[in-house]
Amino acid sequence: MKATVVEGVEVGTQLPSLVARFTRERLVRYAGASTDFNPIHYSEHFAKRAGLPDVIAHGMLTMGTALRVVTNWVGDPSRVTSYFVRFTRPVVVPDDADGVEVQFNASVAAIEGSLVTVSIEAICNGQKVLGAARAEVDLGIRVPHRDHEY
Amino acid sequence: MAITEAHAGRRYPPCDPYHVSAAKVTEFAAALGDDNPRYRDESPIAPPTFAAVISAQAWDQLFGDPELELSLDRVVHTDQRYTFHRSLRSGDVVIATLVIDRVRIRAGSELVSATVDISDRDAELICTAQATFFHTPEVSA
Repeated sequence: MKATVVEGVEVGTQLPSLVARFTRERLVRYAGASTDFNPIHYSEHFAKRAGLPDVIAHGMLTMGTALRVVTNWVGDPSRVTSYFVRFTRPVVVPDDADGVEVQFNASVAAIEGSLVTVSIEAICNGQKVLGAARAEVDLGIRVPHRDHEY
Repeated sequence: MAITEAHAGRRYPPCDPYHVSAAKVTEFAAALGDDNPRYRDESPIAPPTFAAVISAQAWDQLFGDPELELSLDRVVHTDQRYTFHRSLRSGDVVIATLVIDRVRIRAGSELVSATVDISDRDAELICTAQATFFHTPEVSA
């Protein structure tokens, strides 16, 4: 297997960002695909009864979408060896055609041999909705140490 | 009785085998809006967080355990960690097993940490899913 990314990888390298739009339709699709039918993810009635302002996205939908930034970058999703997120704030999804936008940014936080740790942030309405999100990917070959020559 | 710190270490019987199908993998990738070709080729692998579909089976055991008195509508998923030894792929038959790692009681609420091991039929570990849940017990009126 061949790594798709090696050159130019260093701590601080930014990955291409991703903007996802979560609509009620997306939540219903994710509910069916994931088999998570908690009604706070499709019914305003149940969301409000749970003390939420409105229907919220599945935390796992945000987590799964955030990882696309990393898998798009490495190409082969099987290179992901670990992934952690803290769900810090709910993503409220209005009942309209536009839904809500979530922006995912990521950068290389650490490199150890072929293991690259990517730090991810997810922003919705100007606020971070994931905390301490990190994925580790094994690029399969040693990332060369780049000495800056002047 | 409700869940206590003493429930740490409780292990549930393995869940029924889960058959990973290409159709379910494609459906899951589509729900994430993910068009990575590895999720749709001849022998697709599953998106890494597809592990959630399988660990959900094991969580049902936890939330369905009458002794713990956990109610799903008062549970908030606070964090999630996955460790992947290999990708899940279509054709896999996998088994999830849940153990309660730790229970902390804080101001009447409960923080429950649980690990789900997802293994193949030869007991080879494929993925570990560690979650923490925050549970607010029902306030008696």
